[in-house]
Amino acid sequence: MSDKVNLTIDGRKLEAPAGSTILQAAKDANIYIPHLCHNDELKPYGACRLCVVEITHRNRTRIVASCIYEVAEGLEVQTVTERVLNVRKLVIELLLSRNKKSQVLQDIAQKLEVEKSRFELDIKGCILCGMCIRTCKEVVGVNAIGYKSRGFTREVATPFDETPPDCIACGSCAYVCPVDFIQYSEKNGVRTIWNTEFPMQKCTKCGRHIAPVKQLDHFKETLNLPEDHFDICLHCR
Amino acid sequence: MMEPLNVYASRLVNSKEFFVSGHKSCQGCAEALAVRLVGKALGENVIVSCATGCMEVVSSAFPHTSWDVPWFHTAFGNAAAVASGTEAGIKAQVRKGRLPEKETVILGMAGDGGTTDIGFQALSGAMERGHNMMFVCYDNEAYMNTGIQRSSATPLGARTTTTPAGKINPGEEFTIKKNMPEIMVSHNIPYVATACPSYPLDLIEKVQKAAKTKGPAYVHILSVCPTGWRIPSEKAIWIGRLAIETGVFPLFEVVNGRYKMTFKDLELRPVEEYLKPQGRFRGLAPEMMEKFQEQVTDNYNDLLKKSGLK
Ligand SMILES: Cc1ncc(C[n+]2csc(CCOP(=O)(O)OP(=O)(O)O)c2C)c(N)n1
Ligand code: SF4
Ligand code: FES
Ligand SMILES: [Mg+2]
Repeated sequence: MSDKVNLTIDGRKLEAPAGSTILQAAKDANIYIPHLCHNDELKPYGACRLCVVEITHRNRTRIVASCIYEVAEGLEVQTVTERVLNVRKLVIELLLSRNKKSQVLQDIAQKLEVEKSRFELDIKGCILCGMCIRTCKEVVGVNAIGYKSRGFTREVATPFDETPPDCIACGSCAYVCPVDFIQYSEKNGVRTIWNTEFPMQKCTKCGRHIAPVKQLDHFKETLNLPEDHFDICLHCR
Repeated sequence: MMEPLNVYASRLVNSKEFFVSGHKSCQGCAEALAVRLVGKALGENVIVSCATGCMEVVSSAFPHTSWDVPWFHTAFGNAAAVASGTEAGIKAQVRKGRLPEKETVILGMAGDGGTTDIGFQALSGAMERGHNMMFVCYDNEAYMNTGIQRSSATPLGARTTTTPAGKINPGEEFTIKKNMPEIMVSHNIPYVATACPSYPLDLIEKVQKAAKTKGPAYVHILSVCPTGWRIPSEKAIWIGRLAIETGVFPLFEVVNGRYKMTFKDLELRPVEEYLKPQGRFRGLAPEMMEKFQEQVTDNYNDLLKKSGLK
């Protein structure tokens, strides 16, 4: 796996580890490809299609999503061609139709010289990039949220749209959501996320709120810690 | 405000390092931590101008470097001038078609000495001229690299090697810390923020906003220095938190002149909690402590008013 392959991106000759993606190789060479649903800590997924590039391999030219396409020996990549820009423009129009207000989407649209979307949809703002679901599964490891329905009615949801039984209120989904769709707040020792109120644990010495009780319970369970382990915060120990 | 989400969310932050380990900063140096977080926030597309000071000295002893991005070592006072020149140079080259437009972030950085004292006019000029660059002040409240001499950012009552204990007074700085973020706001630049590495996600968010700002942006980072502040190294993060919780160093942003407090309903703890654990404030006279508290409360209320919370 540690083998290197040679490729060119925008005419620049580069070396990249075999098995890595075009997006990673470009990033390492400080070549920017717009992307929304990629995070180095998550497995490649390819939902938003904003990261499209044009590749030429063995005399065939086509459009691929750079965040899921592996580098290969002799691969030629163009990150900005007319064809690429056309696809990106359409993609951002489609994304904007799901969320007009997102500053992140607007900024990308502006760079692509897209003024507004031709499409009107009655959708609340989720772009279905799956960052939240993947984070919950791959980073947090609790799988508290998932997709519901298919096609136009697809949504991110808690099981049966009820209080999520496995959610530990860590808030990582809200953090990772590129369009700030997931609402989260914290007030008077209560964290609210996914329409559920999670009380926070108080340090018995200084009274500061440590973290949601459910999250600390999760740590205790997975790490086999004593019941009173989080009664006192890190700094009062 | 994403700060409380730091357990799992922090794993989603860029895992690459641009200010890499092996540098020679003191144990527990929160200034080095701040630089590392700024590096993570900005990624690879950046050119750094770094003034002399701890962060330059610890990271660039020839033939080694901790920097994995293009980096200038400037003199003590001209980091902002070099950064503004870099920006102007790149702009001209792009206009002439000699360089591609890559929206490279131009970062000037310095300690509090390099910002509030000797680097002051270079910074003021760069901000006033409207360069598309950002400047970060890593404020450890004294000239630490040369052995803890006072700067204009040294707080009231702090002991440094140039403000030692006297016979009558236990030896203290008599002046109030220069309010640098406010001076930057007065330059009418589009983005000013304060941050602290004890709140890493917030720091990263603000640095990224500064980088995205079209025009000059300024971020003032309180950087706890265990050596100069006379605290155990493992307490650096905690002291940073106390600085915010007591209101000594309020976290806020000013976007296009509009103030926004980072923590809206913070109940301030007494400043004593912040001052007591630090050796540099040892033996602080009660009157001084009171004066300190008064000044902190006034400043905090002033900020609340400006941000429409009071
Ligand atoms: C013109 C000039 N005067 C004095 C010095 C010596 N000098 C180097 S670093 C420094 C202090 C740096 O203080 P600060 O900017 O607060 O950074 P810190 O070391 O605290 O991070 C001084 C006085 C110098 N390099 N150049
Ligand atoms: S909620 Fe956010 S992160 Fe999750 S799928 Fe929708 S847009 Fe993506
Ligand atoms: S980043 Fe590649 S498809 Fe979203
Ligand atoms: Mg200093």
